[in-house]
Amino acid sequence: MSAYGLSSSRLLGRARENFDWALFLCSALLAVVGVVNLYSATSVVRASLQEMYIQQIYWLVVGGILATVVAAIDYRHYERLGYALYAFGVVLLVLVFILGRDIRGSSRWIYIGSFSLQPSEFMKLFLIIALAKHLHDDPKSEGRTLVDLIVPVLLTIVPLLLILLQPDLGTALILGLIFLTVSALTRIQRKSLYWLLGGIVGIGGGGGALFVPLLWNNVLKEYQRQRITAFLNPESNIQGINWHAYNARVAIGNGGWTGQGFMRGTQNQYLFLPDQYSDFPFPVFAEDWGFLGSIVLVALYGFLVLWSIRVAATSKDRFGAVLAVGVGALIFWHAFFNLGMATGILPVVGVTLPLFSYGGSSIVTVMMGIGLLMNVSMRRFYVAPGRAARLGYM
Amino acid sequence: MRNLDPKRAKWIRLRMGVLCGVMGLGLGGLVSSAYRVQVEDGPKWRETAERQRLRRLHIEPKRGTILDRNGTPLAVSVEVPSVSADVVEMLRGVDGAAPQEAALRDASTRIASALNLDANELYGRFATKHRFVWVKRRISGEEAGLLRDLGDAKKQPHPLKGLAIEGEGHRYYPGRELAGPVLGFVAPDGLGKDGLELAMDDELRGHVEEVKGLRDRQGRLIFSEGVTDESALAGHDVYLTIDEGIQHVAERELDGARGTYETKGASITVLDPNTGEILAMASSPGYNPNDYGESEPDARRLRAVTDRFEPGSVMKVFTFAAALAAGTLKPTEQIYCEHGSYALGNITIHDTHLNDWLTPTQILARSSNIGALKIGLGLGEPGLYSAFRRFGFGEPTGLPLPGEAGGVLRPRGRPWFEVETANASYGQGISVTTVQLALAMGAIANGGRLLEPVLVHKVTDGRGQLVREGVPRVRREVVPPHVAKMVTEMLTAVVEGDGTGVEAAMTGFRVAGKTATGQKFDSATGKMSMEKFTASFVGFVPAERPRLVIAVVLDEPMIGHAGGNLAGPVFRRVAEASLRYLGVTPAPGTKIAKVTRANDPADVTLTVMHPKDAPEPAAAAAPPGVLPAPGSVKVPDLTGLGARDAVKAITQAGLMPQIEGSGRLVRQNPAAGASAPKGSAVRLVLEPAS
Repeated sequence: MSAYGLSSSRLLGRARENFDWALFLCSALLAVVGVVNLYSATSVVRASLQEMYIQQIYWLVVGGILATVVAAIDYRHYERLGYALYAFGVVLLVLVFILGRDIRGSSRWIYIGSFSLQPSEFMKLFLIIALAKHLHDDPKSEGRTLVDLIVPVLLTIVPLLLILLQPDLGTALILGLIFLTVSALTRIQRKSLYWLLGGIVGIGGGGGALFVPLLWNNVLKEYQRQRITAFLNPESNIQGINWHAYNARVAIGNGGWTGQGFMRGTQNQYLFLPDQYSDFPFPVFAEDWGFLGSIVLVALYGFLVLWSIRVAATSKDRFGAVLAVGVGALIFWHAFFNLGMATGILPVVGVTLPLFSYGGSSIVTVMMGIGLLMNVSMRRFYVAPGRAARLGYM
Repeated sequence: MRNLDPKRAKWIRLRMGVLCGVMGLGLGGLVSSAYRVQVEDGPKWRETAERQRLRRLHIEPKRGTILDRNGTPLAVSVEVPSVSADVVEMLRGVDGAAPQEAALRDASTRIASALNLDANELYGRFATKHRFVWVKRRISGEEAGLLRDLGDAKKQPHPLKGLAIEGEGHRYYPGRELAGPVLGFVAPDGLGKDGLELAMDDELRGHVEEVKGLRDRQGRLIFSEGVTDESALAGHDVYLTIDEGIQHVAERELDGARGTYETKGASITVLDPNTGEILAMASSPGYNPNDYGESEPDARRLRAVTDRFEPGSVMKVFTFAAALAAGTLKPTEQIYCEHGSYALGNITIHDTHLNDWLTPTQILARSSNIGALKIGLGLGEPGLYSAFRRFGFGEPTGLPLPGEAGGVLRPRGRPWFEVETANASYGQGISVTTVQLALAMGAIANGGRLLEPVLVHKVTDGRGQLVREGVPRVRREVVPPHVAKMVTEMLTAVVEGDGTGVEAAMTGFRVAGKTATGQKFDSATGKMSMEKFTASFVGFVPAERPRLVIAVVLDEPMIGHAGGNLAGPVFRRVAEASLRYLGVTPAPGTKIAKVTRANDPADVTLTVMHPKDAPEPAAAAAPPGVLPAPGSVKVPDLTGLGARDAVKAITQAGLMPQIEGSGRLVRQNPAAGASAPKGSAVRLVLEPAS
């Protein structure tokens, strides 16, 4: 990659030799398939939307450049800037309430001229970095107590609540799941763990009974409530709220074993499929390429996720490990929720499919996440001189 | 993370392994759910997808046109706007049960006032929240305008969403009552309900499945490769063998006779004995299929096909033909007619005329029952029965029309006793239909061959390609040609001299035919009625080279009762007008006694038709102003005409009408006065008069 060549070879040093081809090829393949699928998905919609795939290619290029930059800078700089980045993200989230505009009942974007930005997407990366920094700075090799968990929980809950207020249930959910995945790797003292589990059961059981109606009546919006009821009673209102999920499943099922062929998926081509470029790119893919295509797609995401765990396992420090697991969790939960709601095992929550769904912020975020992974992967053997001394290697 | 103590590193690896396992399980779950949807339930979803795409509820393919043999439209489909609603679309953006109900209430009130409907009833239909609800079918242009305003954001503070005005096929019968019972009618759901509309419904309606016609969510048509126009989906056009001109004459005369003789009903069949093609088939009283709802079910019956009756003396023709063919009767034989009274078993049979010795010809001409029964008994029960069957009686003729009766030869299901054989030989104790009589008489006319009736001349698809053609088919040879010839000669005597059918005689043409007066069974008394009877005349003309077979049956006339006196004139007038219409002129040298009936006003035509005054054949063949010069024709000005007159004018000009809308003509393409290739289409845009 010439971008690396352009960067100072002194800075990259051995890192360049450890370029993670598997990660690069898998991500590139997903991105290409994603654009091709977007082309199929938007080939029949009205003219203004037919240029979407070109727009998506632009975003991929921008994302690629940013990912290169993200990968090129040694991640210890992110460690240093961890909390600053986190604070920047939170500020952006607050700005949404000031600068954002209401679109379909929620405001998620910041508009800067003709440019729009979805801070909640980037917040996912900032949260991963902040959590990694906290866990790295405070190793607690004897295991964490409940008190030790207060900071990471706070780190998560602040942006989570801000996003929930937009409201954007899907992204908030992803933030929470990233936190849970990362904490699954930290050691918690046995006594604290019991307390934690007991507390979860207690709150979940007792407090939940009180909290759920409160949440249901006061926090959740009407359309969110309808989605949940619709999911719980799938046959109740096929023509109404479940229409999207239902049509998604019709298209997926219509694919059968081998699919209808590229751009031949009739449900998509004849506009029965809603949101085929944002929330439901998978039904387009599954209808075109069938179950065999679905296996390949799940395998690609699976490889990316498991590879990120591998990167974590081989990383040279805790910060890199948490970073890799965080990005892996981000991709995993996105793919899991998106494919899960399309195939009907999960309720409809607006969660994008990484590299498939149309959208600048989402694409750039995922690309930068992959840049982070690449960063950690490339530097698994490399220890910058000053850092090595501090860690006692030299 | 290698910079850890080994114990801790191992522990971290374990956790990562578990994490991999959990995520792997999640991905496995996705694959299994994809397997369930795509492979296990795949066929079910595929079927659902198919159903969604092939929704035919919105627009039926254009129903085929029914035309007469010359291409005059008898039944056409025109697009009339109908309004439907997509309630889901209507409620888009309205959340919550109470606001939705309020929105629907508001919508139904506004729509109801624009279309003059009941708001509560409309709300009830909307409350189902279906994606497709008929609001009102066949709305006027004015109503369509009001409705468009309701959905117009510029004219309404709260425009209604989800309303769709679509052209819906409405069946229109330009000839009104013409051939009504033959054509039948189409219900608002687009299904043919009677007559040909019912019998040929599948072909007329068109098939979406045959070509891959697909619809998207908005109901728009989308086609797979190769098919680009809706004409491929359209129903087939059906050309009948019926000739509008002859049909018109037949109906006029039949209605006239019904009025004059006050009959309960009447039926007529006109066919070409050489091909079996039915040129006219009428039933009186008839009805106007445009307003089928206002007609009595009784009037919708095509009596010539559905009603069986006791034929009477006309059956003697077939008895004689059978006996002559079997050799049990010699044409010159003298038969003793018992001076008008003959005891058979314990009953006595009477003739109206007291005859002694008669030739077969005289027996027919004077319609002697005693003579006929002797011939029938001479032939024997099996011979007579099988002869009637061979002439096509006792089974449906196979016309493509619903409810055809077969008639009954052996009412008790066993061979006739002697008295029954005697009765059957002059047509009593059996039942037949008008069409059967016409076809059987056709077999005499064409030299002994029973033909299959042909009603459908040809069927073409939406693009004018021939789908199938009705070809003449001989069912069987019933009698040898020389026998048919002999019987024809005998039948000409019926309308001459002191024959019973003189009323059917024509100047310039020799007529062969037979009168009949059939008894009717009175269900009140359980006996044959003395007052109710069926008067009929079945014959063909010209006798030497027959062109037309006409069977006229008058049911229960109140005035007069001899078949020849009542049905004979109907036969003659239909025959005269039809022959003139067909351009048939008397063969030169035909010697016909001039018939004069000064007391019959209809005979004014006869003087015109006198051989000496007959017009030249060429002139007779071309009705004035019908045939344009070959090549191109001038498009007539149709402005302001109604659909019926416009179609008539355009067809007469040799062009094909394409009707849009209803009401009066406001636009036409090509314009009036322009020159268009013969047979090309002219677009006629009609709008309701405002």
